[in-house]
Amino acid sequence: MTANSPSAAAHASAHKLFSLGRAAAIAGNTLRDLVRQKVFYFMLVFALVLIGMSLVLAALSFQGQLQMVMNMSLGAMSVFTMLLAVLASAMMLPKDIEDRTLYTILAKPVSRFEYLLGKLAGVALMLLIATLLMTVFFCIVLWFWQGREIASIRGSVQSELVDAEVAKVMAGTFTPTLFGGIGVIFLRAVVCSALTLMVSSFATSWLFTVIISLMLILIGHIVPIARSAWMDPIQAGVDVPWYLSLFLRLITVFAPDMQLFNIVDDIAVGTHVASGIFGQVTALGCGYITIYVLVAYLFFAWREL
Amino acid sequence: MAGALKGRVIGVAVLLVWGILKLPIETELTAQLQHERLGKYKITASLRQQAGQAGFIAVLGGLRAPVADLLFIRAHIAWQQHVEYGRMKLYFDICTALQPRREMFWDMAAWHMAYNGAAYIEQTEKDKYIRDRQMKEYYKVGEDYLLRAVENCPDSWSLYDRLGSLYREKFHDPCKAAAAFARAAERPNRLDYTRRLAAIYLADCPGHEKEAYDKLLALYKESEKEWVPSLLEKIQILERKLGIPKEERVYIPEKHRLLPD
Amino acid sequence: MSTPAISIQNLTKEFIPPSVMRRGAITAVRDLSLKVEAGHVYGLLGPNGSGKSTTMKVVLGLVTPTSGKTFIFGKNSRDVESREAVGFLPENPYFYKFLTGEETVHFYGKLCGIRGKMLRDRTRELLALVGLEDAANRRVGGYSKGMLQRIGLAQALVQDPRLLVLDEPTAGVDPAGSREICDLILQFKARGLTVLLCSHLLSQVQEICDRIGIMHRGGLVREGPLDHLITIENQTEMVLENASPELLAELRAKIAAGGARLAGEGKPQQNLERYFLDVTSEAKKSDQ
Repeated sequence: MTANSPSAAAHASAHKLFSLGRAAAIAGNTLRDLVRQKVFYFMLVFALVLIGMSLVLAALSFQGQLQMVMNMSLGAMSVFTMLLAVLASAMMLPKDIEDRTLYTILAKPVSRFEYLLGKLAGVALMLLIATLLMTVFFCIVLWFWQGREIASIRGSVQSELVDAEVAKVMAGTFTPTLFGGIGVIFLRAVVCSALTLMVSSFATSWLFTVIISLMLILIGHIVPIARSAWMDPIQAGVDVPWYLSLFLRLITVFAPDMQLFNIVDDIAVGTHVASGIFGQVTALGCGYITIYVLVAYLFFAWREL
Repeated sequence: MAGALKGRVIGVAVLLVWGILKLPIETELTAQLQHERLGKYKITASLRQQAGQAGFIAVLGGLRAPVADLLFIRAHIAWQQHVEYGRMKLYFDICTALQPRREMFWDMAAWHMAYNGAAYIEQTEKDKYIRDRQMKEYYKVGEDYLLRAVENCPDSWSLYDRLGSLYREKFHDPCKAAAAFARAAERPNRLDYTRRLAAIYLADCPGHEKEAYDKLLALYKESEKEWVPSLLEKIQILERKLGIPKEERVYIPEKHRLLPD
Repeated sequence: MSTPAISIQNLTKEFIPPSVMRRGAITAVRDLSLKVEAGHVYGLLGPNGSGKSTTMKVVLGLVTPTSGKTFIFGKNSRDVESREAVGFLPENPYFYKFLTGEETVHFYGKLCGIRGKMLRDRTRELLALVGLEDAANRRVGGYSKGMLQRIGLAQALVQDPRLLVLDEPTAGVDPAGSREICDLILQFKARGLTVLLCSHLLSQVQEICDRIGIMHRGGLVREGPLDHLITIENQTEMVLENASPELLAELRAKIAAGGARLAGEGKPQQNLERYFLDVTSEAKKSDQ
């Protein structure tokens, strides 16, 4: 307790403007908080969706079931990660403000930037764990269906075609594109989380944050169409009045192009996606995350608490 | 408060600058993805169509593929349980619009309409005039699906194969069938029989006998694997039709020889 | 004198109401200047809405001043660095419900850059100090109000700060808990910590503080050492034990003869707090 105790001497040293340690402490705490709030029970719902879907599909009989299992699992994964991202991120700031926990944190030598970054990193970690869990489960289900599909090919297809068809199934299931696509699902979830964090940095309630964030994400899905409509109205075949054009420009500029992160829809039809595209999408995603955190900080830095 | 205002203004400015900077990147990346999806083929759709679809897609968020699958399953159930072709067509229209690159959707849509739908009419409709007209309509619907299918999945040999079969079996049009099989034969990973069928059906297409004969001959000479009964039969028929002198005719194994004319 | 622990210079803080329609700002603090010297326990008093909390928030950098400056040990409150030396306990604090008491102190320790064994030792020491060793592994969500205040004190003290800022540290706590917190503050004072205390419980303030300031409508209306402010200079108090009626009569006569006036006389009463604590602790003993 005395002024010359060792710990006091330790902080007498120069204060670092940015400390990874402090951000990591907040990230770790955020993750622990989320884990103890039992967010991973969400994964059980995911597992049930996959099992339920498998049972329904197994009761029907037609070709292409393996593909459908893949589509629906990836779709469920997309939705679950995005929802998890938005809901978990939207709660953080308003809850800390309301409970005045934020006072105690910011009354420590913690900058608001470290606080925001730590929060985002905590949610990102949680999303990573969630994505990995879902992927493991998905792979088990997919492996089961792959076996089933191959068995059904052997039983039904003309012998001339069996080897070709089996090879096609084997080559088309666990592909690098599939795992790349899952990586992009995770990336998109983190982008959604950063976007939500930015909204919550000026919003006053979590409900407002959730609604605005989800709206921005939905609008993000029509960005490519809005863009082509004002950039290339002749090809689009319509006459765009100036005010509509202005509106479309605003959408294109301020909303993220979420369709670029929809690579899973291409995996669904077995399109091979070049690794260069994955690289570019990842770079773009990281750009979004950086900008959103920066803007969140600008909105939050002077906010009255 | 001045600080807060400053922060907000700078924040919005950063978003604006980023929005303008990202624009060319996103445009380029979209074009690249489009290219990967469709290769050099480009689908032209009017904005109106796109906007209708876009609103739909926006609502679906990232769920285009699974929603298409669900609609497909509903179509399948509609067929198994109620035999409602109108409803099925509606489902197929939406799911092919959502996932135009999914070959199976087109294939199944066309098959259900042109084969099952027409067969259903054949069994249930008593009036011959109406029956014939309605069956033709169903064939036409199947053909439409396959024509759109090959436009959307330009690399698919099996869709051309299905189209060829449809022309042959339902439209009884060997010329179109031959053309479709010829296209199938040009696609990657196609099976060898597509070339054979293209040539065999061409033989029945009036005015193309010589061309068909040359193709059949080329296959005949290529390998004994191609010496299937139908090919050997067509060669003999064409040789007679074209008046090929006996000494120039090809060797046909005994059991496949046609009776002398 | 050395650098003051807190120095507030011409602080004015206006809040612009969130509604766009309503014009005009609300002035929470108006041209306030104040110094808290190192080692003092300073009580900031005032009715609700007098600007005490806003002043504290400005000092802690949670709110930006409209004009004026505040410093903590000479460092501007705007700089994060200034908070190296402060521990803060807000009014009715809540912590992350899913953390245990120990994890809570750990977390705040990490925020202050304390790690490893030093952090573990410090945490144990603090939990013992605030009397929460037994509850260390229980989740904070299940803590009573008094326990929350105590864990709040522990987190405020984690980096061994030179200044403690306490906002209503005994609000909503039962008398025994309240007494314990007061005793803790007195301990800190003995160890040389500077404390800035906001409270409505004037008897406690009177007991703990060296110096007080009274705020009203955003300004400081009275300020000074507590003794100076409340001592009645021309009166003297004397408490006698076992005095006989004769002695009392004699004294009264002497007082009148000496030209003084006997302003009042009576039996002193025990302090209710003391009485309550004695009764409850006796009851506790008989329970055991």
